[in-house]
Amino acid sequence: MAHQPQTAANLLEEVLQRPTVTGAEALMLSLLAEGVDTIFGYPGGAIMPTYDALFGYMDRLHHILVRHEQGAGHAAQGYARVTGRAGVALVTSGPGATNLVTPITDALLDSTPMVCIVGQVYSRLLGTDAFQEADVMGITMPITKWSYQLTSADEVPEAIAKAFYIAQTGRPGPVLLDFTRTAQMERMSKPFSYKKCESMISYRPRRVPKPEQVQVAADIINRAKRPFLLAGHGILIAKAEEELKAFAEKTGIPVATTLLGMSAIDADHPNYVGWLGMHGNYGPNVLTNECDVLIAVGMRFDDRVTGDLNTYAKQAKVIHIEIDPAEIDKNVKTAAPIVGDAKECLMALLPLVKKAQHPEWRAEFDKYAAIEDEKITQTTIHHTGHEIKMGEVVSMLSDKTKGEAITVSDVGQHQMIATRYYRFKRPNSIVTSGGAGTMGFAVPAAFGAQVGAPDRQVIAICGDGGFQMTVQELGTIAQSGLPVKIIILNNNFLGMVRQWQQLFFDNRYSFVQMQNPDFVMVAKGFGVNGHKVSSREELSASLDTMLNFDGPYLLEVVCEKEENVFPMVPAGASVSAIRLE
Amino acid sequence: MTTYTISIFTNNTIGLLNRITIVFTRRRINIESLTVCETERQGVSRFTISLRHESREAIEKLVRQLRKIVDVLAVFGYLDDEIVYNETALFKVQTPLGGQTIDIDVINKDHNAWVVHWGIDYVVIEKSGTGDEIMQFYQYIKGYGILEFVRSGRIAVGKTEKGLVEYLPEIGGWAIA
Repeated sequence: MAHQPQTAANLLEEVLQRPTVTGAEALMLSLLAEGVDTIFGYPGGAIMPTYDALFGYMDRLHHILVRHEQGAGHAAQGYARVTGRAGVALVTSGPGATNLVTPITDALLDSTPMVCIVGQVYSRLLGTDAFQEADVMGITMPITKWSYQLTSADEVPEAIAKAFYIAQTGRPGPVLLDFTRTAQMERMSKPFSYKKCESMISYRPRRVPKPEQVQVAADIINRAKRPFLLAGHGILIAKAEEELKAFAEKTGIPVATTLLGMSAIDADHPNYVGWLGMHGNYGPNVLTNECDVLIAVGMRFDDRVTGDLNTYAKQAKVIHIEIDPAEIDKNVKTAAPIVGDAKECLMALLPLVKKAQHPEWRAEFDKYAAIEDEKITQTTIHHTGHEIKMGEVVSMLSDKTKGEAITVSDVGQHQMIATRYYRFKRPNSIVTSGGAGTMGFAVPAAFGAQVGAPDRQVIAICGDGGFQMTVQELGTIAQSGLPVKIIILNNNFLGMVRQWQQLFFDNRYSFVQMQNPDFVMVAKGFGVNGHKVSSREELSASLDTMLNFDGPYLLEVVCEKEENVFPMVPAGASVSAIRLE
Repeated sequence: MTTYTISIFTNNTIGLLNRITIVFTRRRINIESLTVCETERQGVSRFTISLRHESREAIEKLVRQLRKIVDVLAVFGYLDDEIVYNETALFKVQTPLGGQTIDIDVINKDHNAWVVHWGIDYVVIEKSGTGDEIMQFYQYIKGYGILEFVRSGRIAVGKTEKGLVEYLPEIGGWAIA
């Protein structure tokens, strides 16, 4: 008798008899369905069932073992910032989860998509002060875009689908799943199936702008004599670099970027005039108060950009293009808002705006640029004094890498120097902590970025202070073999605080001097090669050695101790009051 | 100082009250009263929050931040003349033997309040109305000896002809058919 064909009925019966997966395994399957390739994590008691499931999926889900949960969070951010996809951090309950609080805060402020999966005690123990129980839902509510506590395995696929949808759409941000041991361990009551989330009734970010808003803005732009465009992180998030370029070229409008918007436009593009804010360029800051139309795209008028709001761009009609409606009129009153995705908005505007050149207006930017170049940039790059200036190092690095590297900077003077002197040629090339200003961000974010962009050169630029906040992650870099390069610009000071103490606190240097370790020896102790350079003659060769080294490498550059970063808009002052010395 | 009433329609989710109050706390805006209930639509909760503030702009920004919360379906901010609103209060008033007798006629006709429970030597009077009306009644009744006084938060409906379903056509059917 021939083989009996399987009927639908007995197929169903067979499927139903298969054991269903556990919540932990459902998580693995869900992550794969979302296209996740890498998890940054650290195991511990409450997340052990998930790590056990991960053991069976390690060929498909690459896991990087960090040295501290904060490192997992920042690495996930670094990954997200270069790929545009949510980074995934996996940690245990209690202290494991609370160690993620800083990266989550950072990701919220910098609109970085991140999915944090956090272990939690058994459902029946919730609220009993069980071992390593913390109210992580409560702790993270103010700093997450969304969070959810999983108490049953059946909830896993839908919660993961929602988590990725919410993290990656609209204004991206961090989401958190509090994964009880019960939900990890129990089996699903039905066969696993996964459906990507594509819409939610209670969360509907507007992508495509309203045509009437676009028309109002276009009319204002077409009448402008001195228009100025501020490009923010939203350009990079929306992948609108080409649209920005086309818009700038058609309208002839000069373009400046925010700190996080850097690399959205080629630094050598003729319309690019520099960057904004406290340590931004001279022209863009001063001329903000002289333009007649200010077009802000994908940015939120942070106080580090605007200085004193009462004297900020009062003469200008402000057009604010932004995906988050809560940002409209939050800090700066808008004449014409356009709510939508930066790419969609620029695409809608482009056919409505007239061709223009604005040569006289653009010449004003050149005038300021020349003054800044002469007074600050050239004297820094071609410094002849005994000590090395931070700007020399970054400028040389920029030349040697042809502006093609991903620069991951920490927070402080070196951060401002890194963005001032690195000339970005490609999008998504600056990864830094902007809104939160998290010291210790760079080293873990750098290896996260390297995982996300394996074919690109990734260079962390740190100060001696911030580097020591996450120094343990050298162990992660050594173990994973990621070829991350780290430059420490060492001035033996918490330089930015020292600068403020010098300028605004009457030279009272209160706890800013560091007794530092031998950084190269520390690196070698972790298994990372390194070198220390303190003379200008050796600088170029040392950078070459670092860049050509096959594998991770740390270069310590001994810099001028009391160098100050200029230009500078003093805190709370008008952008017009920018100081060159 | 102006009184604002904010109606927030949400999914019925654990922890949402917390997320909503965080938006207020962070901006140092004090909540005067808060009422949460299920609505006529299945799975949809309604938060009615009243507060007093000198800056309309601050309240507009607050409303926009509330709209950002995932699981919040819609938020409306109202001034008093844009809504029909009410509160309810319960007064436990002593009526000891030989004490001053309460005048039911005045309570009913002048104050629109009702005795809803008779105890051995006390009564419980329910008074619904605006905050001012409730306080007027409070002034009247306090001479009799108030043992307990409790007042609910404000509830309010907008004076537009639209219903919730017109703002949110996607949400489910009637909770109570």
